[in-house]
Amino acid sequence: MSHPIGGGSFFSECVIFNARSFDLTLSQGRKMATVDHASENRGQPQRQLTQARAITRFKWLTLSPIVAIFVVVLVPALFLQLYFSFFGWTVYLGSWWEAEFVGLELFEEVLTDERLGWSIVRSLYFSIGSTIGCFIIGFGLALLMYKPFRGNGLYYIMFIIPMLTVPIVVAYTGEMLLYQKGPVNGILSWILGRDINVIWLADADLALTTVMMLEIWNWTPFSFIIMMAGLASLPKEPQEAAQILGAGKLRIFWEVQLPLLRPVIILALILRFLEAMAEYPKIWSLFQGGPGSASETIPVLIYLTTWNYFEISKGAAMSYVVMLLMIAIVLAAIWVLRREKSSLDKMYN
Amino acid sequence: MKINFLDYTRRQFMKTAAIAAAAGAAPSALVSEAFASTEEERIIAAAKKLNPVGLRGMIWSNYMAAMKQAEAEFKKATGISVESIQDISIFVIPQRAMAEAVSRSDKFDFFHVDSNMIPSLASARLLEPLDKYMKQADFKINAVGDYGRFMTYQGNTYGVPTDGNVHVQFVRWDMVEAGKKAYEDKFGKSPAWPVTWEDDQQMMEFFHKPDEGVWGSANLRNRANGVTWWYMYFYSAGGFPFDNEMNPTINNAAGQYALETYLNIKKVSHPEAPGWGTPQMIPRMTQGNAFACQYWDGIISLAENPAKSKTVGKWKYGLVPGSRLSGKLVHRSISSPIAAILVNRYSPRKEQAAMMAMWWATLKNSASIVADRVNTFHDPWHKGHMTDSKVRAAYTPGGVDAIEQNLKVASPPIYLTGLLEFQDILAKNLSEAYVGQMPAKDVLPKTEEAWKKIVRRAGKKKLKGELASYKGVFPSVDVPS
Amino acid sequence: MNKRTKKRIFESFRYSTLTIWLLIVAFPLFWIVSTSFKPDAEWFAWPPVYWSETPTLANYANVWTGKEEYADTQYIQSMQKPWVALGNSTLIAFISTTLAVFFGSLIAYGVSRYQMLSEARMFQLLMLRMVPPIVIVAPLSLHYSTLKLLDTHLGLILVYFLTTLPYAVWMTKSFIDEVPVEVEQAAEILGASKLRTIWEVVLPLVRSGLVATFLFILILTWSEYLLALILSKTEVVTLPIELSKYEGSTEGRVYGRQAALAVGITIPLIIIGLFISKHLARGFSFGMVRK
Repeated sequence: MSHPIGGGSFFSECVIFNARSFDLTLSQGRKMATVDHASENRGQPQRQLTQARAITRFKWLTLSPIVAIFVVVLVPALFLQLYFSFFGWTVYLGSWWEAEFVGLELFEEVLTDERLGWSIVRSLYFSIGSTIGCFIIGFGLALLMYKPFRGNGLYYIMFIIPMLTVPIVVAYTGEMLLYQKGPVNGILSWILGRDINVIWLADADLALTTVMMLEIWNWTPFSFIIMMAGLASLPKEPQEAAQILGAGKLRIFWEVQLPLLRPVIILALILRFLEAMAEYPKIWSLFQGGPGSASETIPVLIYLTTWNYFEISKGAAMSYVVMLLMIAIVLAAIWVLRREKSSLDKMYN
Repeated sequence: MKINFLDYTRRQFMKTAAIAAAAGAAPSALVSEAFASTEEERIIAAAKKLNPVGLRGMIWSNYMAAMKQAEAEFKKATGISVESIQDISIFVIPQRAMAEAVSRSDKFDFFHVDSNMIPSLASARLLEPLDKYMKQADFKINAVGDYGRFMTYQGNTYGVPTDGNVHVQFVRWDMVEAGKKAYEDKFGKSPAWPVTWEDDQQMMEFFHKPDEGVWGSANLRNRANGVTWWYMYFYSAGGFPFDNEMNPTINNAAGQYALETYLNIKKVSHPEAPGWGTPQMIPRMTQGNAFACQYWDGIISLAENPAKSKTVGKWKYGLVPGSRLSGKLVHRSISSPIAAILVNRYSPRKEQAAMMAMWWATLKNSASIVADRVNTFHDPWHKGHMTDSKVRAAYTPGGVDAIEQNLKVASPPIYLTGLLEFQDILAKNLSEAYVGQMPAKDVLPKTEEAWKKIVRRAGKKKLKGELASYKGVFPSVDVPS
Repeated sequence: MNKRTKKRIFESFRYSTLTIWLLIVAFPLFWIVSTSFKPDAEWFAWPPVYWSETPTLANYANVWTGKEEYADTQYIQSMQKPWVALGNSTLIAFISTTLAVFFGSLIAYGVSRYQMLSEARMFQLLMLRMVPPIVIVAPLSLHYSTLKLLDTHLGLILVYFLTTLPYAVWMTKSFIDEVPVEVEQAAEILGASKLRTIWEVVLPLVRSGLVATFLFILILTWSEYLLALILSKTEVVTLPIELSKYEGSTEGRVYGRQAALAVGITIPLIIIGLFISKHLARGFSFGMVRK
């Protein structure tokens, strides 16, 4: 099997004229200029006008269906959510459109709710832990694999399979593997030569970490693939230059490769973190929030509030708080990403 | 099962007529029709007046499997069938049924759900009272003891049971007999059937031998199910969770007693118990790793099935222990969840759904449903089941007697609007105390505090109005005969 | 230490590390397959059964064919519809993924070539994905019931389309960016129409990327659980939902059946993954690395 990345047909087919063509901000003006230049060359101002119109048309053609779906499907739901969080309603109180206006009462209740606070802490622990785990393993594997070697195809395919496994399957498999007298403890005992009796699934101090391990198993391939792509597309020249200057491998890695990879690394971390914040199927099907409330993360708490307690309004207020929190995190993440990107751009221009 | 009139002697006929006259209420024409036919025929006759339709239900296929045959017969007789089902776990159905209430959907005609959800679902205006349909077919829920009351709320009948699902005391009597001598040496008395929770604890501690792969208790202590046991301890100690003003009343002697009994089990439970639900616990029971427990009666049928169990003939079944805390001995078992058919009032096919529900609950049909040896999800509840030979074969005679005794003292969880929320707070706090995340002394006050908030949100006046219904479903005997 | 030994040490380090992870990855997969061949007493045994001495096909027969000598669940089978679920999942996942990749790549093209969306807008687009679905699913189900979209294929396709679109745009954009503008201009100067340029020049150059994007989004929609749970009822059961039904309250969880179903669910994805693995790694740099 050929190496999945190097020497692929893509590279040979694609002739790269312009290494900078993919960046977002700085090339903007330049690209327009190129286009303008091309049109001027042919002396057709008319054409420029039609082109501008064509672009507008293209924009509408591609964006309007999406905007339409967004407006029809999601926007009313968001407004309903907003309505519920200001009008106190549970299922037992008449029709939802007759609910009573309660102002900020629900937000007050939610923001002072210790339980929500702890669930945010748990979610952050779970997400940060699994993100770092996925990243370290994924990056490590990618470093060992990005240069072709014998058998890389097999390893590569095996390493991406966990990502293809449905999370619910991962949860049930975890249940089959991790009970105290189960195969994982059995194998650990065999390797370490003494009796291992870890209580993976019932110890309140360990439960969330157990799901974290399953999450890492499930999603390491994601970080792995991103880092593989990142490493494979690193420019060779700076490394060669450093080599000629007599830098060691480790130094090249720290001072040349790593800085170049930083945007990719940050992207891998951010995407994984945000997906982990939304993790629900594994935690729910393994623990439903227990033991104690050791695995009561944000999605579990919102699910319980809305679908077990039918406190639709409280759930809505909670959802808005969480949504704002997530948006704040996303904005921070975007800010970091943009900064990384522009500093990279500056480095090259 | 058609009764031939010629077989009736004149005397028998007079006797039935006299009973009918004593019953009084029904006009004579109806009486003769009623007595001329079986329960099944009356339902068929009533159902034939309706359009034959395919029903849509929310029901777990594990339950539906055993009901399928009766459903096919009903289709043949009346044209009414179950056309499609939303196949989800009975533990998820309360939430999904409530979602139907929110959207007032007529998508489903019936819900097969825990009847303890009746107050919540009825308050959400989802349920159709069934009394008038029951009258049309002259059908009665003929359950053991006061069990039939579980289907009622505010004076109306809202459900038809398909499943008893009461807790029964399980004891590995072979172990008791093997350890009799040592037990006598230690306690100076013979091991006997545990009458109180204290007896139960003492025996479990004595027979708890983890080195030999036997744990004293197989009671569940996970967050989802553990709370079920707490109710038994609490009610038998004379507790009731609210006073007449809907103030929580669990932070008292009965509550403390229940909490201690709940936490004491930890000494004799498997270390993984806080994470175990039925999927993990049941194999331990049937593989011989547990000494005793209170457990749902359906397990009897499984434990006595040689193809699936290593403990055939080794268990003794009986009444769950009680408590003398209130000054007299009180036994309280629990039925939760009780799978019952509830009918959607928004459905245009609600009459047909009601007929189907009654059809499943006739003695003949329900006996074959609960006696199914393979799909053991439905458990006995009908008076007639207690003497039915198929049922007694599936559950063993001792098992059926134990079920009957426990049904007579079966009590509900919090039978109020908001059951799941009341219960989940309690369950969470109990579970946290069990795993050591919360000091035991905080459990009851913190639960009361949270309950007060729920009472305020759901409406104190409304809940006060439900208290009579809640008290009304309690059994009228303390110690079954 | 000469260079050769160094290399050899590195090689053995490489292979042993990779093999350890390979085993960690493979063991749960092995366990799923192994469980799918176990009779029920061995699913959750003390001590665990690694490979059954009496392997059986009963789980597969039971789950996938519905007719089988195993009296156990003969009624249940008639109600469990794994093939219908498979059909639903296939339909929903493929349509929504195709839509997402199609529109995503068009938008990506517009952004890449004509700055159709500003950078800020592009990042805002990511938010569609980044807010957890749990926060919106309750009002969405209420809204869906008024739109009559509850329990329909279209309903799920629409939400999946919207929530995966950001990934589609971002991933495909990184590929289109790599295609130099000059190539297109050359084609246009030679007289090709815009559409033909895209079709014949750009598309072949980004094929790998589109395939990788397609697979990634397919994985996300194929295994989505929460939205499918709340927004479907009787008609549109998808595989992850179907899978969670194989549990029993009185007999414990039916792991063998679940495993047999899980094998069937996962294999199609693995096969697709095998076919396109060489494209896969290309799609994931999100335009964050410079050539």
